[in-house]
Amino acid sequence: MTASSALQTAPSGRSHAAHARDWLAENLKGRLRIDRAHEIPVTLQELVDFEVGMHAAGLAGITWPRAYAGHGLTLREHLEINREIGLAPVPNSVNSIGKELAGPIILAICNETQKAEYLPAILKMQAIWCQGFSEPGAGSDLAGLRTRAERTADGWRINGQKIWTSGASKSQRCLLLARTGTAEDRHKGLVLFAVRMDTPGLEVREIRSIDGHRHFCEVFFNDVIVDEADMLGAPDEGWAAATRVLSIERATNRMYRSWRFQSELEHLIDACRTDARAMALLTPYSRQLAQIRVEVELLKGHVETLVETLLSGGQIGPRGSFPKLYWSESHQRFAQIGWEIVSRFPPGVDGPLRDIRARMEAVYFASRAETIYAGTTEIQLDIIAGRILKLQKAA
Amino acid sequence: MHDDLDPAEFEDTARAVMASCAGAADVPARARLLGEAGLLGVLAPQATGGLDLPLRYAVPVCRTGGQALLGFPLIETLLLARLLADESPDLATGLVAGETLATIAWTGVVEDEIVGGAPVARVADYVLCFRRDGGALLLETAACTDLDETLSIDVDTPDAALRPGAAQVAQLDVAAVARLRADAKILRAACVHGSAAQCLELAVEHAQGRVQFGRPLSAYQALRHRLSRDALAVETMRNALVRALSEPAEGPAFARDAAWLGAAQAGPGVAESAIQVLGGMGFTWEVPLHRHLRQMRTQAVLGAAVEGLDDLAAHLLNGSNSPWNGDFHHVA
Repeated sequence: MTASSALQTAPSGRSHAAHARDWLAENLKGRLRIDRAHEIPVTLQELVDFEVGMHAAGLAGITWPRAYAGHGLTLREHLEINREIGLAPVPNSVNSIGKELAGPIILAICNETQKAEYLPAILKMQAIWCQGFSEPGAGSDLAGLRTRAERTADGWRINGQKIWTSGASKSQRCLLLARTGTAEDRHKGLVLFAVRMDTPGLEVREIRSIDGHRHFCEVFFNDVIVDEADMLGAPDEGWAAATRVLSIERATNRMYRSWRFQSELEHLIDACRTDARAMALLTPYSRQLAQIRVEVELLKGHVETLVETLLSGGQIGPRGSFPKLYWSESHQRFAQIGWEIVSRFPPGVDGPLRDIRARMEAVYFASRAETIYAGTTEIQLDIIAGRILKLQKAA
Repeated sequence: MHDDLDPAEFEDTARAVMASCAGAADVPARARLLGEAGLLGVLAPQATGGLDLPLRYAVPVCRTGGQALLGFPLIETLLLARLLADESPDLATGLVAGETLATIAWTGVVEDEIVGGAPVARVADYVLCFRRDGGALLLETAACTDLDETLSIDVDTPDAALRPGAAQVAQLDVAAVARLRADAKILRAACVHGSAAQCLELAVEHAQGRVQFGRPLSAYQALRHRLSRDALAVETMRNALVRALSEPAEGPAFARDAAWLGAAQAGPGVAESAIQVLGGMGFTWEVPLHRHLRQMRTQAVLGAAVEGLDDLAAHLLNGSNSPWNGDFHHVA
């Protein structure tokens, strides 16, 4: 049996949405559900196994070519399936960097050997990837990064430090951005690597974030030797191509967001409806919640319009900033309202109220990162001002 | 048969006609210009001289009308010409040609003996008034009394309150009125989108031309970010309309409501922001930003935006049908 024939996709005559819905109803259970408070947290292995199943069922790798274990479909089916993923309490991928950042970049710039090595391993969850872009001195301003890559006889020697590298302690590969020259070169001489996380000289330290998690990491590179074969694209060219991919990814990654947002709002209301005391806390917020519900639909308008643009061969360019900005701020407003409601539940509540309290607490703290990562709100506003409105800085 | 027409080309044509209307003396003069250009019959059947096109073709007409502060009951004429074509073909033909003027009293019901929110009712030949049962009556405006537009804040398209008279011309059933209201949400959102886009354009133009402390206002990050947020608001309206006119997976009704409620909420904010960007000039009567603000605030009232949000709130509190919450036991 070949890899692709083992994959289940929507049987003919049934919609991809119906297939996804049924598969999730059957397989998303127990500790995997993010809408329930769990005594014992879900393990990494359980999440990995679930994602292996999602891929086999056709719910991940939807647009990737079949040759690399993908499902060979379009963004339209990706959107259709992601609506269902959003409406269900599915955990975020532990390999979203692999699936939504490294993968598309690899598809755009790598040679056949590299694609065959890296891509199926991502979908089969054999290689979890992390993103080594940000540095202590280069956050929003990536051109300021200092991590050096020097040519050696049989590859490259890497020295430097990365930070805010989510999931590095659980990863097998790092999508590393380094430079061949000096920091004064700015955008020149940037080069991308796929670095094995078990390479000697590479050290990972976890950072605890405000939500109590330890996903964030610092990654130190001390004379880390990387094979020539693990360089992605040529210096300069690779990064130029990658930035084009990144502008699309900003608009398309976690495409289920609007629908997840909708399901969080519905969960809050449905849970409060089980208890008159909770309902009394929720009701005064009803007009604000209606406003949020409208914003969720408007967010879908941004996402679906961009998908249509891409499907018809158009360019998104800087317009990917619109959904990022809109979603992150609207979701924060919702998270604040949600927390104001659940934090005043009477002590000792159980069942649905305990579940939604735990979920809203997690959503509230996690949402504080949403206006920071993937380009801060301020960066998005700068992009719109400079590249869409083309506002002049000098007379 | 008009599938080959491009709504974007319609927008260019409509914009040129709106510009010519700016020089017209009064509402009847604008009606004739719009009628001659064929814009009033976009939705009406061909028997009335109309083009019989789908709603998405009326969107650019209303968008450019809002942008131009047209001073004409555009939404009302477009929808009434289509609605009345069967029952009152002559009247519909007159509307399409721009020879007859009709409007709609968007607030109140006939049974209360006073209705309101009727744009340019003072010069209209007919006014559609809603009934409590969800139907509507078309009345001769001449037979209505106590017409009063002093409470209108819209200086370009003042709306009036009036006491309905007995001279009934036509009657609409509940289904026809429901469709009228649904389509009006789209056209109103288009009008507000055009109006807000125009305010943003005026603000951007001013920010780039006005120099203070040796730099254009557009160089200052506080203003750059303000204008970026306004651009987000305008783009959100545009995409919401695109989605509402497509076939959204969740059905068209909520996408339409969201497009309207979103526009009604965000549109006036863009005008308010533009007034701030223009500073003292923005607060003058001469600069048209206040007219856009008045137009958008009036549309929000005529389109019952706050009521719509409250209806949605009540609906939300009834709970969802998410299967993931299916095991919850709801209290009464």
